[in-house]
Amino acid sequence: MTTKAEFFDRIRAEMARTPGRAPSALAARPVRPREGLDVLRRELSERWRENLDRFQHELERVGGVLHRVAEAGEVPDVVAQIAAERGMHRVVTWPRDTLGVDVAAPLVTRGFDAAVMPGTEVAAAERARLRGLAAAADLGVTGAEVAIAETGTLVVVSGAGRPRSTSLLPACHVAVFERDVLVESLVQMGLVLEAWHEGAEPSWRGAAINFITGPSRTADIELTLTRGVHGPKEVHAVFVERGLSVARRA
Amino acid sequence: MEPELATPFRERAGRALDDRFLQEALTVATTKFITLRREAFAELPEGDALRDQARAIKEATLQRLDYWLERLIERIESRGGHVHYATSADEARRVVLDIARRTGARMAVKSKSMATEEIHLNDALQAAGVTPVETDLGEYIIQLAHERPSHIIAPAIHKTKGQVAELFARELGRETEPDPEVLTRIARAELRQKFLDADLGISGANFAVAETGTVVLVTNEGNGRMVTSLPRVHVAVMGVEKVIPSMTDLAVFLAILAKSATGQKLSVYTSLVNGPRRGGEPEGPEELHLVLLDNGRVRQIAGPLREALNCLRCGACLNVCPVYRQIGGHAYGYTYPGPIGILLTAMLNGPAAVKDLAHASSLCGACMDACPVRIDIPKMLIELRREVDQQGIAPWPERAVFGAFAWLLQRPRLYRLSARLGRLLQRPFVRGGRIRWLPGLFGEWTRTRDLPAVARRTFHERWAALEREARR
Ligand code: SF4
Repeated sequence: MTTKAEFFDRIRAEMARTPGRAPSALAARPVRPREGLDVLRRELSERWRENLDRFQHELERVGGVLHRVAEAGEVPDVVAQIAAERGMHRVVTWPRDTLGVDVAAPLVTRGFDAAVMPGTEVAAAERARLRGLAAAADLGVTGAEVAIAETGTLVVVSGAGRPRSTSLLPACHVAVFERDVLVESLVQMGLVLEAWHEGAEPSWRGAAINFITGPSRTADIELTLTRGVHGPKEVHAVFVERGLSVARRA
Repeated sequence: MEPELATPFRERAGRALDDRFLQEALTVATTKFITLRREAFAELPEGDALRDQARAIKEATLQRLDYWLERLIERIESRGGHVHYATSADEARRVVLDIARRTGARMAVKSKSMATEEIHLNDALQAAGVTPVETDLGEYIIQLAHERPSHIIAPAIHKTKGQVAELFARELGRETEPDPEVLTRIARAELRQKFLDADLGISGANFAVAETGTVVLVTNEGNGRMVTSLPRVHVAVMGVEKVIPSMTDLAVFLAILAKSATGQKLSVYTSLVNGPRRGGEPEGPEELHLVLLDNGRVRQIAGPLREALNCLRCGACLNVCPVYRQIGGHAYGYTYPGPIGILLTAMLNGPAAVKDLAHASSLCGACMDACPVRIDIPKMLIELRREVDQQGIAPWPERAVFGAFAWLLQRPRLYRLSARLGRLLQRPFVRGGRIRWLPGLFGEWTRTRDLPAVARRTFHERWAALEREARR
């Protein structure tokens, strides 16, 4: 097998033989991304209404639905309504800490079968059981760390209390978010990602960052657009004006 | 070995041209992709600037490739991931098989990856007792049918919904009407169980971000997320040229990739994988492996195909290529079809592999126009033709004819004489200003295309006449 040293020797040998150099430039990276992001967030806080409207427009273009509520306490109502309209019964949800609001208890009160994902490390057997729950669920409720207006994208970060499967395995995904997670563009998202990776990463953050732009789709059979091939068939974003309190904000 | 290569290129192309359904499907698909792409960029005023920037980033990365790869490796390893080095396709297969064996894997779910197609990983897995399951719907269909992808982005565009329904009935025992919606639902159910059962997840990588050690996968169906989250072990196979320096660079590429491929602003899922599962996370693989693949790429760092290392595999150049639009992906006979496919095939298999394919281009330049990173494909095709010629790989009659032609072109008097001679000799063959059939060796040309007749008056003669008139 090729060793790392051999592999790099060949690369360096070829690089040394490279004739003339074409124009080149890396994208200009922010020097202090976290500070830059703070400044940006302050600017954005004045334009959140426009950005929310744009987010809605783009989300709808890709087949998603935006719901707006005034208070965090209304989130369970929205979830219950979405589920009831579709005859869905089994719900999995992130815990209150990571979601910013308790959804499971009110849903159980209304007769839904709602399971809360754990907020801390659990043993392998329990992890397998939880995955089974998510696989069997009709609807999954998660938070979102960023919402990108330009593309209608929800950015969901994994971690303790933030299982990946909640936004992936159920047929319907509901993401809850608030105004300070809105950014305008992919370029701004680049800054967010730089800030997230500056210095040591917080321990709550898991290994997966997922950009979700509408429901899962394919056009692989005769170019006919079909939704929900592997991921969710429906994506709902719930915008909460006040009262969402997510611990350990990214 | 590529099974299609048993028949010569011309025959493969001929078969594609006679396939009425394929012709229709190709026209519809490529036209649709072209329209969607155009609309997406029309909405993005800074599109051209972003493309220039993306190109400059690729070039800058290539100029310090060793540095960025080292950085990537260091970051991935610091996250608890493992990096492997594969000089050849064979070595890459062995690396993956070793991982499969060591982890006791029985089934591998795969998300769409040209790199694993390129190294023919599935056959090797199968032979080693690991069942590979393609999970991209298009790839799944062609895997069931034992075929090969015909388009980088839409691997099964050559199949009708009727054929897919028949296939599902035969292979899965599921009788159903030929409705894409229903067929997709069946595939979802079949594959869902596989995702949950598989031990090994195998993917490619659209990018790897050096500064952060992040493997980036872009999919529409969500299979990329499944493959990197559910199985115990995740293996990503990636060409060395896919490394990019930073997240800021990534944002630039994401802004143009999906628009070029399918006309979407972004694909549905962009998955950033920062190593294996972390403490506290309820899901994620316990092991993450990145296989860095050379397979002919490294020698092009200083080679004539260097620019092809910038390719993002978006498929835009296929859709606009007048040759691809006529013959589709299979006729090319190798993993990578279309104009960029010819270059990649030469990169992977040497110039001899493309002695026919190098000519399967009209050099119209549409590919370069469509390419998000403006790769000068025509220039490299011409270079390849030269190489094929110089190495004497081209058939001798072809070399003889073009040799004679070149000799003639350098002798103006003789050239003029032969033009006059040609005018005389062509008479019996000209119909409506075109030559549709020629005897013997020359028939090779007219078999598949017309030859314009030598004009009644040559340009020289007309120019001289014009000058005479002007003087009058
Ligand atoms: S050569 Fe350019 S257009 Fe063709 S697949 Fe690669 S990036 Fe896309």
